[in-house]
Amino acid sequence: MSGVTESEIYRGQTTAIEAVPAVVVGMAAVLFALALAALLELVTLTDRVAGVSMIVVLGSLLVLIGIADVAFGVGSRLELVETKPEPNAGLVAAAAFGGIWFVVGGLIGSQTLGAGLVGWLAVALLFGVAAFGLAAFTREDVGSTLPAGAFAILAGVVFLTGAIGPAWTWEPNGLRVTFFPKSIVPLVVLFAVLVAGWAAAKAYGGFGARGRHVGAHLLIYLNAGAIIAVLIGLVAFVAVKGYPAVVQGVEVGLGVGPKTTIALFGGGNTIALFGVSYTLDLLPKLSYTVVWPIDWPFLMNGAALLTEIDGVLPAIVGTVWLVIGAVLFAVPLGVGAAVFLSEYAEQGRFTQAVEIATNGLWSTPSIVFGLFGYAFLIPRFGGNKSLISGMLTLGFMLLPLVVITSREAMLSVPDEYRDASAALGVSKWQTIRSVVLPAALPGVVTGVILGVGRIAGETAPILLTMAGGTFLPGNQTVDVIGGFEFVASPPFVKNDALLQATSALPYQVYALIKALGGNQNLIENPEAFGWGLVLVLLGVVLSFYAVGIVTRYYFRKRLHG
Amino acid sequence: MSDSTPTGQAILDRRLNAVSDDLEALRDSVGDAPPDALVAGAIGSLSLFASFVGFLLVSPLTVVAMIVFLVATGYGWIRHQALTARAVTLAMTASTITVLGLITVFIFLEAIPVFQYSSGEVFGITVPGLRMFTQTKWEPVSQPHRFSLLPMIHGTVMVTVIATLVAGPLGVAAALFISEIAPPRVREAVKPAVEILAGIPSIVYGFIGFTILSPWASDQFDIVGQGTYLFVGIVVGLMALPTVVSVAEDALNSVPESMKSGSLALGTTDWQTMTTITLPAAFSGVSAAVLLGVGRAIGETMAATVMLRNSPAIPEKVYNVFYGYETLTSLIASRYGTAHGNHMDALFAAGVVLFITVMFLSIGSQMIEARMNRKLGGEE
Repeated sequence: MSGVTESEIYRGQTTAIEAVPAVVVGMAAVLFALALAALLELVTLTDRVAGVSMIVVLGSLLVLIGIADVAFGVGSRLELVETKPEPNAGLVAAAAFGGIWFVVGGLIGSQTLGAGLVGWLAVALLFGVAAFGLAAFTREDVGSTLPAGAFAILAGVVFLTGAIGPAWTWEPNGLRVTFFPKSIVPLVVLFAVLVAGWAAAKAYGGFGARGRHVGAHLLIYLNAGAIIAVLIGLVAFVAVKGYPAVVQGVEVGLGVGPKTTIALFGGGNTIALFGVSYTLDLLPKLSYTVVWPIDWPFLMNGAALLTEIDGVLPAIVGTVWLVIGAVLFAVPLGVGAAVFLSEYAEQGRFTQAVEIATNGLWSTPSIVFGLFGYAFLIPRFGGNKSLISGMLTLGFMLLPLVVITSREAMLSVPDEYRDASAALGVSKWQTIRSVVLPAALPGVVTGVILGVGRIAGETAPILLTMAGGTFLPGNQTVDVIGGFEFVASPPFVKNDALLQATSALPYQVYALIKALGGNQNLIENPEAFGWGLVLVLLGVVLSFYAVGIVTRYYFRKRLHG
Repeated sequence: MSDSTPTGQAILDRRLNAVSDDLEALRDSVGDAPPDALVAGAIGSLSLFASFVGFLLVSPLTVVAMIVFLVATGYGWIRHQALTARAVTLAMTASTITVLGLITVFIFLEAIPVFQYSSGEVFGITVPGLRMFTQTKWEPVSQPHRFSLLPMIHGTVMVTVIATLVAGPLGVAAALFISEIAPPRVREAVKPAVEILAGIPSIVYGFIGFTILSPWASDQFDIVGQGTYLFVGIVVGLMALPTVVSVAEDALNSVPESMKSGSLALGTTDWQTMTTITLPAAFSGVSAAVLLGVGRAIGETMAATVMLRNSPAIPEKVYNVFYGYETLTSLIASRYGTAHGNHMDALFAAGVVLFITVMFLSIGSQMIEARMNRKLGGEE
């Protein structure tokens, strides 16, 4: 084949000229960081850098990058550099540039020229079609750099010449907002840098398929990096703001902390039967008292007028009981349903209906679960908000998660396990019990932990079914274990603590936000208290997620060696 | 290509055969079972049903039925464990459908009075609830009461559109990164990071939005008061992003490696393979991912409740994203405590609209995913 000798397996060394677009991409990154700092008001537009104001710096860098882009396009067109451009820049680039210049034209038409609707539409269409045509009908090296470079140059010149200067404002008609330079300039610079940097990356790749590859990778890496940065920023911000409030007044030492008494049946050895109390000296005292060696006021106190350091103990205990109740309700149901779906049922209408129902439940908004709990559970548990209604509502939310993950875990147990067990003569149920379930257990446990992490942070369901009191004092912490009582008539077991409306961590945050807007004099520094509370909630939820992710990683490693 | 779609008669025949097969299987299993197991099973199912009915009717005898059920199940477990296990797990599976049915029934039941109150007439036919969607006044306090869901629907649409514009492209790009571009070590760091982003509770986003973002936005853009659809949309988009990323990443991973390798062997770049092979092949899964993200954005409650103005209104310029009033979800969360009667039922009506919309999206994305599995499974 005659073409074989002409194809290139590798491109050879990058020459100095070919490295210039990489330098421009680096410049674009620096400008991106500067504009971000200006947006977050870490620097202001009138700050002086080496005697030049920030807005001039931003504008001139933008112009430089724009000129560089145009130079790459022209240089490649004039064959000064070796590139492999395609006949045109492609539909995506053409549409993007057309859109950008349409907006620019519209702004010029309506603001600079003051034209009416038809006027600015005409100008916008003119610019947009010109840019689209340039990108779609000229060779790629010119079509993908010229519109981008021109846009960057235009933006830079506008800032440099002071057409949009530090004193500029814009009030669009009827929107009741004002655009100031401190937000518009960094935003425009960020956007222009993205576009120009994309064009420079394409130039670095030599245009063509490889150029688009480099350009796309730049944007995708930037996107992933931004998402990670936002996550780290959020968590770090909450940690920094909440830390002072959370560790306030912490003391470590023997006997320093509060006493906890765990008591069954009220802790004594009396039992109430048929309305009469019987004292049974034969029964041991069913209570145990522990003195904590650490005093952590924020986690161990409630919020009351006489409390020195207000804490969130009732909310923490409420969340713990909610999680326990929801898990006790949802996990057996969900695992049982998963066992049936994966082992017993054949693919048919019943399993399809169950799948649709489960996926539908999984997508249902949490506030709809709250409404359901309000309509269905509250009337059946005494007509008031109660802890058990909250537990069951969260259990309903947890159920589809458990079904989906347990089913996946059981389906991923290899069939060889089941076949080997059957070959040994073991019945189907015995196989499930002793082979499949243990093998699927890690996946089930991981799913439950991740599901618990999700429901521990849910506010809307408990808002309508359980939440009571804005800030609860420490003595109103719900005591479920000590609340159990036997009674003579049905339902034979009573627990007033379960029927109590109490608080939980997510609800406490919501109540605090409501209190921030109004007047409250219970908590001295509500905003600091709020950040500490949010840190505790975030810590609880993220630790569940962290444990779940680590266990999944560990079990996957074990399974696949 | 498979043969042409079956006729109506053939479908009916197939359905009837399936039903009669099921009945025969049931008859066989009943005939095989020992009699005491049958009795225990019958008692167990009856008592389970009775305890369910008793719970619905708030009867004190529910506990009695529950105890009978536990005794029957215990007896069956000791004597005929396999049969009991099968029956009990069947009941547990039916519970998922039951829960969904209960939710549907109870939400609708509570909303019926306000639908009847807000009936409208179309060509002489009374359509219940029509006035909730044709007039725009929301007046729950002073007479005449008017309950319109249109301001809330407008709010939900605005927030969802902005959230989808944030979560859709960025989420698919991140999914591409995780599944195709990232080196293995980077992938092992980024995937858990996205899951942790999914785990941050919405009230935490709401708190940060309320204390930091809303005041900053009102200051930056000189907005009267606090609460914009734009920034609520951005925050909700950030919350829906992990959903889109994880489902889209699953879809991209399920594209067979042979397709991608074949393309690369022809000399294409990675990016060309992604845009011409991987993305089109996984298109159904990716669109299902975006649909699920949209559903998540529609259902987002607490961040919207805390960051919006909580007074239903449609801005004069319908596209004004700089003033945010009320969404369907924030309506329910902010008013549940003070609403009674028709006002409360109107909240349930908003819940009905939410529930139906999200159900449609969920079923739609499931159908799309089923189609994708068929296409990529090699059966077509």
